[in-house]
Amino acid sequence: MSAAASLLRNTDAATRVALAVLGIIVAAALFAPFLGIADPFAIDPANILAMPSGAHPLGTDELGRDLLARVVHGGRVSLAVAAAAVLVAGSIGVVLGVAIAFLGRRGESAAMRVVDVFVSLPEIFVAIVVLAFLGGSLAALIGTIGLLYCPQFARVAYGMARSIKARDHVLAARSLGAGRLWLIRHEILPNMRSVIAVQASLTFSFAMLMEAGLSFLGLGVPPPTPSWGQMVGALKNYLFINPWPVLVPSLALFVTVLAINVVGDWLQDRLNPELRR
Amino acid sequence: MAKFIGRRLGSALLTLLLASIVVFASIHLLPGDPVVMLLGEQAGSDPAAVARLTRELGLDKPILSQFLSWAGGLAHGDLGTSLRSGEPVSDELVRRIPRSLELVAGGLAVAVLLGLPLGVLAARDRGRPAGILASVVAVAGFSAPVFVSGIILVLVFSLWLGVLPSSGFVAFSEDPLLHLACLVLPSLAIGINFMGVVARMTRASLIDTMAKDYVRLARAKGLSRGKAMTRHALPNALVPVIAIIGIRAGNLLGGTVIVEALFDWPGLSSLLVSASFARDYPLMQGSLLAIFAIFILISLLIDLAQGLVDPRVRTAEG
Repeated sequence: MSAAASLLRNTDAATRVALAVLGIIVAAALFAPFLGIADPFAIDPANILAMPSGAHPLGTDELGRDLLARVVHGGRVSLAVAAAAVLVAGSIGVVLGVAIAFLGRRGESAAMRVVDVFVSLPEIFVAIVVLAFLGGSLAALIGTIGLLYCPQFARVAYGMARSIKARDHVLAARSLGAGRLWLIRHEILPNMRSVIAVQASLTFSFAMLMEAGLSFLGLGVPPPTPSWGQMVGALKNYLFINPWPVLVPSLALFVTVLAINVVGDWLQDRLNPELRR
Repeated sequence: MAKFIGRRLGSALLTLLLASIVVFASIHLLPGDPVVMLLGEQAGSDPAAVARLTRELGLDKPILSQFLSWAGGLAHGDLGTSLRSGEPVSDELVRRIPRSLELVAGGLAVAVLLGLPLGVLAARDRGRPAGILASVVAVAGFSAPVFVSGIILVLVFSLWLGVLPSSGFVAFSEDPLLHLACLVLPSLAIGINFMGVVARMTRASLIDTMAKDYVRLARAKGLSRGKAMTRHALPNALVPVIAIIGIRAGNLLGGTVIVEALFDWPGLSSLLVSASFARDYPLMQGSLLAIFAIFILISLLIDLAQGLVDPRVRTAEG
């Protein structure tokens, strides 16, 4: 509580705005069914690719579906997929990274070389191939994005675990006879929380962009479930008929990623300034 | 320097080996039988047809021997033939690789030509309106997904101003000017995101460097702030900028996936996507491997450039 309060003090205007925007977006996503907006699946053939009006505050898409409803429900899907993927990536990656830190010198450098290769390879290409085989389902999408980003967590967790292992209080605990699992649970994991939080905020925006890109290509969230990337992918074909509808999910995505990046920068400054790049 | 190049080449080869294993594994260890998918619903339910095609494609052999025969062909430049067209995969790759490289080069050029001045401006006028504006542009560029900036570029330059083609590809040999005109918007779309990365790194690095003793000495002996910055600080500040370009080269390449789809650019990424939709696995393997090879080559070149600029990189462990 006091930590959070001291974090919030000394924030600049941009960060406050970004936090507020993120708050609104997350709240809209969480409470989408209770907002009294239209049904995101209801088709209105009389109003196709319409501009904003009283009936449709943000206009309609290529099937006449309400864009406000679809962008809110799409945000729900996009945020949920990204959050779930970060959870998968974080939990597997941290376990992997900490485990590698206990492999001994040879094993560590060999394992980290492999991890580094996976960190550096451009993930989206592997995702395309994997999802082409697994087919479009939310579970496959989350699993694939999560697994592709777990090496990043493994690298950060490995670095932290190694440096924490060498600290005096850990040496003291070891000399008192603490076992590996005890050390991991009581000394190593609690001390890497803030670094993992920063990594999670970074990975969250990567995962969102990855989901958006894959859905844009038609390999992500299966229709008719909306996600921002998938809406952009479908509506881009009507750019020359009416450019308005495609701008709605595009701007939603842009504003959200921008807000996450501003908040992420601020978190990084606060929690571990030495890692700032 | 020779030792440094050798070490870097060694690690690039190791990466390539691991990448080829990833490529092979991601296609052969996944559930979903390519033979059944290839034959389609109806013929796929006929066990005799499935068995025959499986044998023809060599998919009935143990996974290790399949890998070895694929890797063996690879060493001879033989990547198999496309299941759909029956053409050698390598022919298609040779046609498409230059087109994707062009996009990457265009994106990189945009990123460096716009990102460097933006970062310098943000550092020089830190805390003043111009600097803050430059920082805002950088973080906005960095946050704009490639397809969002691409769509906005099409709206502005094709739909409203009508000065550039909205999509398509024309071979350079057919119409050089139109070819370059088609290249502008895709390059900008890829480059704007990367511009943000370059600008942010330039700003941070330049601010760090300006606080170094040798720059303060240059200032103390009477050099103007601008001169101290361009003559003394900037060259040294560029080292981490080159490094971040290397680290994020994957983003640049990843951007081609979206841009090739958005602008109908027939490069490697769109080949991978269409091969994936068709489950043409030799073509998928070939294009994925070509993409990784390009990525590894870019990383290697940037590593070497870094070693050339900064002697400390050459002697560092790793």
